[in-house]
Amino acid sequence: MKYVSKFLALLIFSSTMAIAVADLKPYTGKLTPALQLPDLKGKTHNLQDYKNQVVLVQFWATYCPPCIKEMPSMNRLMQKMGDTPFTILAINMGETQNEVEQFVTKVKPEFTILMDESGESINQWQVFAAPSSFIIGADGKVHYTLYGGTEWDSDEIVSTLKKLAPANKE
Amino acid sequence: MTTFHFSSLTKQISHSLIAFVLLTMSSTNLANELETLTMADGTDVDIRLFSSEGDTLLLGFACDAGAGIHEEETAASLSEDGVEVWMPDMLSSYMLPKIKSSVKQIPTEDVVHLIETAIKRTGKKIYLIASGPDTNLLLRGIREWESRHPGDPGLAGAILMFPRLNKTAPEPGQKPLYTDAVGTTKLPLLLLEGERTPNRWGIKTLAAALHQGGSPVFTKLIPDVRGYFFKRDNANEPEETVTQQLPGLIKASLFYLKRASQ
Repeated sequence: MKYVSKFLALLIFSSTMAIAVADLKPYTGKLTPALQLPDLKGKTHNLQDYKNQVVLVQFWATYCPPCIKEMPSMNRLMQKMGDTPFTILAINMGETQNEVEQFVTKVKPEFTILMDESGESINQWQVFAAPSSFIIGADGKVHYTLYGGTEWDSDEIVSTLKKLAPANKE
Repeated sequence: MTTFHFSSLTKQISHSLIAFVLLTMSSTNLANELETLTMADGTDVDIRLFSSEGDTLLLGFACDAGAGIHEEETAASLSEDGVEVWMPDMLSSYMLPKIKSSVKQIPTEDVVHLIETAIKRTGKKIYLIASGPDTNLLLRGIREWESRHPGDPGLAGAILMFPRLNKTAPEPGQKPLYTDAVGTTKLPLLLLEGERTPNRWGIKTLAAALHQGGSPVFTKLIPDVRGYFFKRDNANEPEETVTQQLPGLIKASLFYLKRASQ
């Protein structure tokens, strides 16, 4: 009986864990991402420059309520990742520099905002909704995706992201 | 020159008259007729009719009862401009809550029945209009109508405003999966989408999927507005402006659909 209850407790615990990390969906597509976009100051960022880092690439818009709601947790995620090589590249979906600058002043994201006024990367990355997020491992491959907002600084997500870091930095 | 001096009583009467006229004006229903149609399963559906002399009839699936003042204003304006409008109240008829998923419970048969009735009674060219997930109900109805009336030009086109036709939640990095009705019709379709909604980025993909069935598909992005702009309580200036111009936008859409069906 003791063993049965232990087994049940383990089962409940493991299924709870599965639900908790279920926000991030393992990526099964064939996307080989490339990205080259300017930030708000005009500096061009190339995804290749972030090789050997874990990268959260997110597509967002100022008119998207869940995008706005989750941004503070993305700021906290930056801190929680600590020494793990990690970057957030948040790509604005087709809005103007002026619109995004006003938004940034208000919401104060502490990560890199990239501009894609033409929507070229949005099409290349097959993004049809916002927020759409891609987790890229140190190997340069997309490992997880997420549609919709989440609390990015949850222990489960932080742990999942750290596992994608280069072996010596995990 | 004659000068009129109002006595106190005259003033009171005139004030009462003004108040009565204003009250009457504000409570006047913009719809000029209300009719009930019985569906195949015996359900009675109330339809608000905005009659017109023109040869075009717009059948709007205002499944949230269509009671929004802007929808009524638009329908009234269109009818004054030669487009007859029918607005069936599907949700109330089936006692369904005003939530997105309710539309799934509305029988396809009802759409077919309404199209057939509209054609039979008026002989006008019928165009359909719906927004959001209600557009799937339209496509279901069109598919069924086309299978029963192959080659019949009575149904001439459909306007899909902010179509939400995803079968499942969109997955980043994957092509969207659409509902079964997408790409199964030949009817000319016109898609309207707000520029300030992420769905605008999927409009080309959706148009291509709809075209698979043979439909000529037109798309129009409306600058500076969000989806459902005409239903929003917090509408901004561009959204208010476009809402006021909605009859013109619909008439322009009908023009393109008419041209495609000729």
